[in-house]
Amino acid sequence: MAQHVLETDGQVCPFPLVEAKEAIALLAIGDELVINFDCTQATDALPRWAADAGYPVTNFDRVGSAAWTITVQKA
Amino acid sequence: MLVTGLLIGIALGFVMQRGRFCVTGAFRDLWVTGNTRWLTAFLIVIAVQSVGVFTLDALGVISLSSSPFPWLSTIGGAFIFGFAIVLAGGCATGTYYRAGEGLVGSWLALIFYALFSAVSKTGALAPAVTAIRGVTVEASTVHGVLGVSPWLLVAALAVAVAALARHHLRRRPAAPMATLPARKRGIAHLLFEKQWGAFSTALVIGVLAILAWPLSWATGREAGLGITGPSSNIVNYLVAGDAEVIDWGVYLVIGILLGAFIAAKASGEFRVRIPDALTTVRSIGGGALMGIGASLAGGCTIGNAMVNTATFQLQGWVAFGFMIVGVGAATRLFITGPSKARLAAAGQGSASTASEHESMRS
Repeated sequence: MAQHVLETDGQVCPFPLVEAKEAIALLAIGDELVINFDCTQATDALPRWAADAGYPVTNFDRVGSAAWTITVQKA
Repeated sequence: MLVTGLLIGIALGFVMQRGRFCVTGAFRDLWVTGNTRWLTAFLIVIAVQSVGVFTLDALGVISLSSSPFPWLSTIGGAFIFGFAIVLAGGCATGTYYRAGEGLVGSWLALIFYALFSAVSKTGALAPAVTAIRGVTVEASTVHGVLGVSPWLLVAALAVAVAALARHHLRRRPAAPMATLPARKRGIAHLLFEKQWGAFSTALVIGVLAILAWPLSWATGREAGLGITGPSSNIVNYLVAGDAEVIDWGVYLVIGILLGAFIAAKASGEFRVRIPDALTTVRSIGGGALMGIGASLAGGCTIGNAMVNTATFQLQGWVAFGFMIVGVGAATRLFITGPSKARLAAAGQGSASTASEHESMRS
């Protein structure tokens, strides 16, 4: 199982989500995608996308003022 | 009591920031994912407000008036505005509240939006805007055209929106939705941490939108929520020093900025964030086009798509439709089109990984 990191800091919505979708399309099943983001609306959009797609979220936390990280596993 | 504008604005900015209420996102989702959850939330605001406004009108607290429908400027302006909010990354209120979160891109969009609103309403472009807005048809409201009571439309809207909301509330995602770990408790958790539901946020915004009518009316500004006019007024006050233009609406938009800042700061979500070069250019261009588009259309996503729809003005519903079309055009051009092209290019490489994908992009 490999872990890939997607940095989207500085990008406004919907780009963190758009890039996460692109990135996860290229992963193998079971691989994890760590998405770092600072767009507030993505705190709603990213976990909702993962839930709708049936991808487990293995980590979701704040990493500072207006900065978050979420780890989504491709299933 | 101009200060009530400030209070409604602060409440609105606070609720929009905490609820992540984004009209641009609601319209964009239709074209990116086909999801109607946020559009449903937006329609809830319209429906709730509609019940309130026609009740206030029936009680004689306010009296709704209508004027001929400037169809040409509404269609053109709404399309431009829809296109522009995708570029700017937020509609008028969205830009105000993101500015309060510390996004410098939104500061730029806001400055150019306010500037070009003034240019279009009272400046160099005003004669052209007035001329195009002069192209009208002798019809003003949906119920007027149909020859029915507005209450029939209010009821139909309420039933349709309730059915949509029920559909979304019954939907269960494939996996449980992850939430951020709680670090606060009680009221602090509720106000400054908990993820607010889209529909409960919409209900609160609907109530604030109703309150705006009598409170604004009491100060002589006979309208509900509005963003573009007040933004233009701020510019006029700043450059011409005319204090007459400081009305309830000006206090409202300043309140939105303040409320969003308070919400973001208290939630640990405020940080001055500098955009990259491309986002900077898009924010400025988007902001300028928003000002022109909203002035042509006679309102932004709030004034037209959320308030003039609630009163069933033709201008409101036509603007609502063409804003969505404009959002669709810009979404295809700047978001989904480039994304598909990147995916297709990445798919050609056999051993592509996320990190390679990253480097391909840059």
